[in-house]
Amino acid sequence: MIKISVNGEIKEISEDLNVNELIDELGYTTKGFAVAVNTTFVAIDTYANTIIKENDKIDILAPVQGG
Amino acid sequence: MTKHMQINEDTWEIGGKTLTSRLLIGSALYPSPANMEDAIKTSGSQIVTVALRRQSAGAKAGGDFWDIIKSLGIEVLPNTAGCHSAKEAITTAQMAKEVFGTNWIKLEVIGDQYNLQPDPFETVKAAEVLIKDGFEVFPYTTDDLVVAKRLADVGCKIIMPWGSMIGSGKGLMNPDNLIAIRKQFPELKLIVDAGIGKPSHATQAMELGYDAVLLNSAIALAHDPVKMADAFKYAVEAGRLGYESGVMQERAFASASTPTVGTPFWHQNI
Repeated sequence: MIKISVNGEIKEISEDLNVNELIDELGYTTKGFAVAVNTTFVAIDTYANTIIKENDKIDILAPVQGG
Repeated sequence: MTKHMQINEDTWEIGGKTLTSRLLIGSALYPSPANMEDAIKTSGSQIVTVALRRQSAGAKAGGDFWDIIKSLGIEVLPNTAGCHSAKEAITTAQMAKEVFGTNWIKLEVIGDQYNLQPDPFETVKAAEVLIKDGFEVFPYTTDDLVVAKRLADVGCKIIMPWGSMIGSGKGLMNPDNLIAIRKQFPELKLIVDAGIGKPSHATQAMELGYDAVLLNSAIALAHDPVKMADAFKYAVEAGRLGYESGVMQERAFASASTPTVGTPFWHQNI
């Protein structure tokens, strides 16, 4: 297991997960969100090639009201 | 004549779209999602601003809010609210493009947490990168002419100077600065963004020749947001009509409008 931060919370996840597998393991079931790893955007078509490492900081964002 | 008849028939173009409404509206701070929907519809706005925030696992991405916005069938303008660096804003813009399916981005890079004043240096830096990456950038900036110049230099076709601080409702703090930007950049789309508190502020911005106004709190925080949305619709149209009509020159002294010839009760001394 490795420790990462997801949306500001520390989580323990399996090693060598790609972003698709990370999303599944974290329990995200719906689409319509976007992902950044260490403040860098990860496009949806690169999820499978992006491997999560120890201490990575993940942001998963979805639409909200805005001004 | 119906109450909601479009007074002005003019259209304008922004970001490759031809629109009739010159009012851009925010989607935050309404008493309820239903009230937001009614206010947006009543405003006649064809551009609504939205944002991105952290999403919990198991929750429906965007919730009911996003379903309502999509059902309105109008243009969506995602913002980068809350970003404090060019890097954060660029990443947020890229994420917004994927989620919302638009290359439009309201670029906000905040430089001071107290008055939410935009950081001009980081804003220009982010704008340059995003424009090269194919974004249509709507940069939120102050009413500083030189910052507007720098944004134009890096390719911005749209500039959004503030009227006053975000959410303050203070109106146009420095109309002369806004006039200077308008005169300097007749070819750019200029939108007063932030600080508008009441319909007359929007009218004033439009009378200055601004192409549009963007506001949120003034409608959402009114006692009756739907009625206020109606008021802003007319205020923006009135200001635009006033601008197009050519406002009279100010005079230093009084000048009677009623003819002086034939004024009664004046007689030569007999």
